[in-house]
Amino acid sequence: MRTAAFWLLPPVFCLWLYWFGLLSWFQRDDFAWLGLRLRVYDFSSLLHAVFAPMAQGTIRPWSERLFFMVFSSIFGLEALPYRICVFLTQFANLALLGSITRRLTGSWAAGLLASLLWVANPALSVPLSWTSAFNQILCGFFLLLAFHLFLRYTETGEKSYYYWQWAVFLLGFGALEINLVYPALAASYAFLYARKYFLRTLPMLPVSALYVVVHRLNAPEVVSPLYMMHWDLHMAGTFWKYWTWAFGVARLAELRPLPQWLVPAATALLTMALLGFALWKLRRGQPLGLFFLAWFVIVIAPVLPLRDNVSDYYLTLPTIGLAMLAGWAIASSRKAGRLLCAASIALAGVYLYGSLPVGRAVARWHYEQGRGIQTVVRGVERAQQLHPGKLILLNGVTNDVFWAGISDRPFGLVGAEHVYLVPGSETQILPRPEYGPVEPFIAPPELARRALKHGLAVVYQVGPDKLRNITNHFTIWVVPTWPVSQPRHVDAGQKIFEDLFGGQWHPLEGSYRWMGKRGAVSIAGPQTEGEKLYLAGFCPKEQLREGPLNVKVTAGGVFLGSKTIQNAGQFELAYSLPSKLIGQERIEVVVEVPRTISTPSDTRELGLAFGTFSVR
Amino acid sequence: MRRLILFPAFLSILLSASCQRHDRVVVQATEENEEPELASVIHVADPRVAHQLLRGFYDVEQNSWRWTMGKFTVVLRPPAGASVKGADLQAKLSVPEAVIARLQSLRLDAKIGEFALEGETFLKAGEHTYRRAVPASVLGSDAVTVDFVLDKFLPPGNLDQRELGLVVSTIGFEAK
Repeated sequence: MRTAAFWLLPPVFCLWLYWFGLLSWFQRDDFAWLGLRLRVYDFSSLLHAVFAPMAQGTIRPWSERLFFMVFSSIFGLEALPYRICVFLTQFANLALLGSITRRLTGSWAAGLLASLLWVANPALSVPLSWTSAFNQILCGFFLLLAFHLFLRYTETGEKSYYYWQWAVFLLGFGALEINLVYPALAASYAFLYARKYFLRTLPMLPVSALYVVVHRLNAPEVVSPLYMMHWDLHMAGTFWKYWTWAFGVARLAELRPLPQWLVPAATALLTMALLGFALWKLRRGQPLGLFFLAWFVIVIAPVLPLRDNVSDYYLTLPTIGLAMLAGWAIASSRKAGRLLCAASIALAGVYLYGSLPVGRAVARWHYEQGRGIQTVVRGVERAQQLHPGKLILLNGVTNDVFWAGISDRPFGLVGAEHVYLVPGSETQILPRPEYGPVEPFIAPPELARRALKHGLAVVYQVGPDKLRNITNHFTIWVVPTWPVSQPRHVDAGQKIFEDLFGGQWHPLEGSYRWMGKRGAVSIAGPQTEGEKLYLAGFCPKEQLREGPLNVKVTAGGVFLGSKTIQNAGQFELAYSLPSKLIGQERIEVVVEVPRTISTPSDTRELGLAFGTFSVR
Repeated sequence: MRRLILFPAFLSILLSASCQRHDRVVVQATEENEEPELASVIHVADPRVAHQLLRGFYDVEQNSWRWTMGKFTVVLRPPAGASVKGADLQAKLSVPEAVIARLQSLRLDAKIGEFALEGETFLKAGEHTYRRAVPASVLGSDAVTVDFVLDKFLPPGNLDQRELGLVVSTIGFEAK
């Protein structure tokens, strides 16, 4: 019975607490990882996809690259198998943690309690609800397994454990960079408890150091302010913040109003209890508490310089140390009299009171976020099947759904490339500059209007569980309220812009349109100083037989200049726009080439084939 | 050995429970009826009438209401007989304490097409109902747009990054 409880209770508790996490769908960074597979077309691109530094220079082949690539190739956008994999890994972590704590303390109750207390920590709610944070769970597995093997080595002296520990340690680098702390964990334990093995832990230190050097050399320069390292006194403040968060109540205060005194009081009580217990044990010749505290400090240390990116899930692995210490303390209190036993249970109650609601709420929040983005992505997938080739416009996208996934461009995963939010949606989305601009996701009004007019777009209302086609309703009631304007980007290959072309233009062919010797197109004037007019198209080699081709451009009656095309193939020409054109609603751009060509099979007079005209 | 038995047992529980749940989250991805019906009264939190909120509303909060911007517009179907007897326009709204504390007063005006309805000034925070009689002459069509304008609103700032006007729960016509 006791054995069954020891192994089964933590996973059952984990499932109960994070049930919504098990069921949550993909969100945010998940879509980038899900799309990675689509970028693999040969062995070289496979190696690049698996090992090239991405997203702040991280290289996590097991927990991100291969995990998503393998699972997405088998299960596609079915999230459940991914989530089951995450949970099974976490169950293995709980078994390892229980086993390690039991071996260290000699108490099965301490092992059980350590696992339960760790599960309860709100820091786990994100990794257990968001698939991209699997790296924390998998790194935990490598750290715990390596340490478990080291422990077995110190207990038995069998070298095979030592070598396996090495293998697991090295593999751990493929899960998360935090793995580099492992040598410090093993060394600190050996120094305190198994001194004769201390030297055997040291060869791992240069491996971690080498990893840091190699990683730094290969990772691109960090540009996001969120991931800038600040090696200064702020690290102490960041440490304190993580320390208070680790006890749960501070996190609960962010979720619901609590009496002001409660957070500092609960944090102080739990801090004093843990430190007091560790010191008391130390005075009795048991420095194990110091090792548990060292676990927290060592594992949190690498993220302390990230002053502007203090994230609760960074506590996932450090809190293992506190859970072991607290489990040991509660288990020990059983033999220290009723008063201390009651006190330890009361303190555990305070911790659970602060932690459990947060863990559940965060998992629920991820589940709801996932449902929202799932509705949109699945709906767009269906809409794309029903209206192939049409522009899909989404109305009623909430701020949460936008940042939960639309900003990560998930629609390519279901074969839909041209999906935008309806014009005006930007007022619904709160800017988050750290994640990029909102504008590229909003359809320009003129483009949307033209596409709807030509029947080349559909509008869907985003509902809680499905998309609803409201194209006619939207066209009647909303489109007329949009201000009429000229587009800033005109695609010569799109029928919807046909009325903007004048002069010697030939009919549309595929995604381009041939101009004769002279052609005109209407476009919006520049909005600010320094904006240019860009012309992109194709020049056949026959056109260059008589030498380079000069392309003269006039806009709004002002001669912009003459640019030369030297090589056949794709071209892009940029012309500076004079300030007198700024703010003009509409300017006529006239393009002229000195000669045309024709072939026996095509007797038309052909100047250049154009793709796009844009002002930017 | 026991551990070896426990693990697959757990796995099967997990899989079976999850699979049951999975069936429930399968969604009918789209609804293709292109002519959604218009309601005469809309509860702004009701997703079935979200398409009638044309402009100026933020996301639903607490499953019951939405913040508006300084201008907001809905499209409504006049109730039966409104083209003969007219109808009452009714908006159930709330002026939050934070808004009235900063702005002191708030005037709401409404327009149906080009027909302006008498405005109302709110001086106190709390629940209010804006109610105005609408003549039959402006309710002759199948649907009408109602434009609301506030004379003041909270601009994006420290309190919130959004432009905030009122909190609205229901807007609609009541037959006479």
